[in-house]
Amino acid sequence: MELAVEMRNITKTYPENNLRANDGIDFSLRKGEILCLAGENGAGKTTLMKVLYGLESHEKGTIRIRGNQENISSPLVANRLGIGMVHQHFMLVEDFTVAQNVVMGIEPRKYGIAYDLKKAVSLVNEAIAHHHFSIEADMLVRNLTVGQKQQVEIIKMLYRDVDILILDEPTTVLTELEIEALFSSLKQLAKRGKSLILITHKLKEIIAISDRVVVMRQGKMLGTYETKDVNEQQISALMMGKSISLSIKHAKRTDESQPVIECKKITVLRQGQERPLLKDLNFTAYSGEILGFAGVSGNGLGVLEAVLGGFIPVFDGKILHDGNDITNIGTAQLRRQGLAYVPSDRLQIGSSLKASVQENIIVGESRSFRKNGFIDQRQVTKHTNDLLEKYSTKGTAQMPIGTMSGGNIQKVILAREIERYQDYIVFSEPTWGLDIASSQFVYEQMASLRDKGAAVILISSNLDEILTISDRIIVLYRGTRVASFVGDEARNLSKEEIGEYMLGIRKQGASHV
Amino acid sequence: MSEKRNPTSKNAFPTLKESIGSLLIVLIALSGVIILSFLLSKTPSKTLRYFFLGPLQNAYYFGNMLNGAIPLIFGGLGISLAMRSGNFNLGGEGQIYSGALATTLFALYLAPLGVVGAILALFIGAFVAGGLAGLSGYLRMKWDTSELITSFLISNAVVLVVNYLIAGPFMDPSTSLIATRKIPESFRLPVLLPPSSLSTALFFALVAVIIVHIYLYKTKSGYQLRMTGLNSRFAKYGGINTRKFIVLPMFLSGFLYGLGGGFAIYGTYFSSIKEFSAGMGWNGLAVALIAKNKPSMVIPAALFFSYIEAGARSAMLHSDVTFEIAAIVQSIVFFLISSEVLFTLFEKKRRYS
Ligand SMILES: Nc1ncnc2c1ncn2[C@@H]1O[C@H](COP(=O)(O)OP(=O)(O)OP(=O)(O)O)[C@@H](O)[C@H]1O
Ligand SMILES: [Mg+2]
Repeated sequence: MELAVEMRNITKTYPENNLRANDGIDFSLRKGEILCLAGENGAGKTTLMKVLYGLESHEKGTIRIRGNQENISSPLVANRLGIGMVHQHFMLVEDFTVAQNVVMGIEPRKYGIAYDLKKAVSLVNEAIAHHHFSIEADMLVRNLTVGQKQQVEIIKMLYRDVDILILDEPTTVLTELEIEALFSSLKQLAKRGKSLILITHKLKEIIAISDRVVVMRQGKMLGTYETKDVNEQQISALMMGKSISLSIKHAKRTDESQPVIECKKITVLRQGQERPLLKDLNFTAYSGEILGFAGVSGNGLGVLEAVLGGFIPVFDGKILHDGNDITNIGTAQLRRQGLAYVPSDRLQIGSSLKASVQENIIVGESRSFRKNGFIDQRQVTKHTNDLLEKYSTKGTAQMPIGTMSGGNIQKVILAREIERYQDYIVFSEPTWGLDIASSQFVYEQMASLRDKGAAVILISSNLDEILTISDRIIVLYRGTRVASFVGDEARNLSKEEIGEYMLGIRKQGASHV
Repeated sequence: MSEKRNPTSKNAFPTLKESIGSLLIVLIALSGVIILSFLLSKTPSKTLRYFFLGPLQNAYYFGNMLNGAIPLIFGGLGISLAMRSGNFNLGGEGQIYSGALATTLFALYLAPLGVVGAILALFIGAFVAGGLAGLSGYLRMKWDTSELITSFLISNAVVLVVNYLIAGPFMDPSTSLIATRKIPESFRLPVLLPPSSLSTALFFALVAVIIVHIYLYKTKSGYQLRMTGLNSRFAKYGGINTRKFIVLPMFLSGFLYGLGGGFAIYGTYFSSIKEFSAGMGWNGLAVALIAKNKPSMVIPAALFFSYIEAGARSAMLHSDVTFEIAAIVQSIVFFLISSEVLFTLFEKKRRYS
C-alpha cells in the first residue's frame, strides 16, 4: 500500500532540559487512512508531530513524504508538501472573521496586489460547504464556540489543499455532539483520499474512528496495530504498561455532613442580553461529598465556574462559605478564605506558561514565603520537587511550565490546588487532555479529598466522568437547575436519561431536591 | 508551544540565545558608526579612532562616559520594572526632569538640615516623579485608559511646566544660564575621577541595580509583579491583587527616574538647567529594551549607550564630524529595538488572542 508518510528512526532531544522526547521512532501513515496516535501524557506524541510539521528539528532519522525523502525545516515547507496541522491549542485571531483567518498568508489578490476580501469570503464559503461544516465565512471568530473554532482550524488546513492532516487532541474541548460531527467530517475526508493522524487519549474514539493505532510510551514506539484486531483493554494496557479501569468508591452523605458552600438563588446577567446566564440557582455543597454539575456547553457550567472562582459577580442571590457571606468578594479575597480551584482553562488561567514550574506552584501561597517578604528559594524548590514527585510529574522546578506536556501542566495545577485546599475545592473539566492513568489518579485524589471531609465540586461536560465519580448530580439547562440526583438514584442513572435532562427534553418537578 | 522569542523570560540573567538579538543590535549600531564615518568624514580613519578609542583614552573622557551612564541606569531600571509588570511608561522625560527640579528646590530649601535634608530632598524629587507615573497607573486602574498614552501626554505637559518654573519663578538671575540657583556645596557628591565629573552617584546607581534585582527576583511583591506582567489572568486567579500591580510598578518606575534626576543634580549639574535632561528619558527606555528588562543587563546596556555618546563627542572634538552622528546611531538602535518590540507585541497578540 502507498505510504503518505514514512518516518524512520526519528530522535529528538530538547536541548533546554536534555530530554529525549522521541527515541528512534519509526512511524508510517498510509494513504487515505485514519491513524490514531495514542500514549500517556508526555509520551512524545506532540513532539513527533511537530517534527513532521517542521516546528521542531530532529537530530536523527529520515522523513519520506509520498516516497520522497524531504527536509521539513518549517511549517511553510510542510504546507508545500501538503501537510497540515491543527494544534492542541488554537492559533486564531479572534478579531478576524472566519474567512480572514482561513486565507491568512495566502490571501486572494485583486489586480495582483489588493486584498480581495469578497473573493476570500466566497472561496471559504465554498470550502465550508464542500466539507459540510456548520460555520459561515463572515462570522467573527470571537463569537464562535470551541467546536466551531476547531472547524475553522480544519478548514484553514483544507483550504491550503493539504492531503495529510494532523490533529492534536482535537476532541478534548468538544461536546459529544460536536465530536460526532467532527468524526463524520473526518471520515468523509479519508474517503476522499486524505490521510489523517489523530492524537487522542480516549479509547472509545480510537475504536470508533481509526484504521490503525500507534502507541507510544516514554519517547519510544511500542507498536502499530490494526484497530480491528485490538480492543479498548488491550490498547489501554499497552499505553500504560498495565491495565486500568476507571472506577471509584462512592460515599453516602452522613449525619456529619456539613454545608460548606451554599448558593442561594444566584442570578447572573450578561450586559445587553435578556436571558440570564444563571437564574435562581440553588445548591449546597456538603462536606464529604462530590457534587457534580452536568450540562451541555453554553448552559451555565462555565458561568458557574467563573462565579465560584470570583471572576464574575452575581447580580442577585447569596453565596455562603461555612455560613459566612462570600458573595462578590473577588478572587483574591476568596483565595484567602480558602478557595482551591482547578480551572478548565489551564493554559491561560491555571498557569503562566513562561513562568517556571515553581513560580506556578507558589502563586497565592503564603507558607513558602518567609515572613519578611523575601522568598525562600530553597524551600520553594524543595516544595516543588516534592510535589512533582508526589504527583509523579516529569519535569524540574526551574523549567518554564510551558515546556511541559499538556498532561503534566495539569498535574502541576492539580498538585498546587489540592495541597492548598482547606474545606472545599472546585474542579472544572479536571481531566481534559489527561491519559487514563492520570485521569484515574485525579479521580482518586478527588475521592480521597472527599474522604478527608472536603466538599468537592466537579463541573464537567464529560458525562462518563460525572456518572463515575459524583455522589450527587445537578443538571443545568439554560442556566437553571432542571434535575438533581442523590445516592442510588445518581448511581443508577443512565447516560441516556441524564442526556435528556441536559438537552431540556425532560425536567424534574420543583419539589425535587 | 514553541516559545522561540521570549522577551520577558523568567531568568534573572540572559542566556546566550536571548542575548543574540541585543548583540546583533549593538553590532549593527557599531557598523552604522563605521559607515557614517566613511560617508560624512574626510578623514574616516581618524574619526573612527577618536570615536572608538576616544572615550577610553584618558580619565576625563572615561569618567564622563561612566557618568553619562548613571541616569540611564536609573531610567533603564525604571522602565524594566514597569515592563515586567506589563505596563509601559513613556513619560521618562517629564519624570526625570520634574524629579530633578523638585530635588533642586527642596535641596535649596532644606540646606540647613545637612545630610538629612539632602536625603529628604532626593526622596521628595523621586516621589514627585513617582507620583506622575503612578497617576497614569491609577488612571488605567480606574478607567482603563492606556498608561502608555497618558504617561506620554502628562510628561509632555510637565516638561513645559518645569521649563516655565526654571525660566520664571526659580531662575537664578546671577548666571547667564537659564537655571535655578545651585545647591549648597555640602549637598554635592564627591568627584571620583577628576578632572571628569564622575561622582559617587555611580555607586548609588549600582546599589539601585542590586535592589531592583533583589526586589524582582527575591521578594514576594516582586514575584507578584512579574506574575501579573507575564499573565494577569493567572495572577488574578492565583489571588494576586492585580489592580495594585498597575499602580505600584508605574510609581516605582517614575520613582527611579526621579532618583536618576536627583543624582544628576547632586553629582553633575548642581542646579536645574533648562532642558538639561532632554533625551535621558527616552534613552532610559532604549537601555531597558536592549537589556531585555533584566536589571543585571541594564548596566552594560547603559554603558553602551553612553559610550556611543562619548565616542561621538570625542570624534566631534578631534575630527570633522558633528555630534549628530551619535543621534543618528542612537536612532538606528531605537528603530531596531522598537521594531523588535512591535514584532513581539504583535506575536503575543496573535498567540494569546
Ligand atoms: N519546548 C519544549 N522544551 C523542553 N521540553 C519539552 C518541550 N516540549 C515538550 N517537552 C518535553 O518532552 C516530553 C514530550 O512532550 P510532548 O508534548 O511531545 O508529549 P505528549 O505525548 O504530547 O503529551 P500530552 O498527552 O500530555 O500532550 C515531555 O516530557 C515534555 O516535558
Ligand atoms: Mg501533546
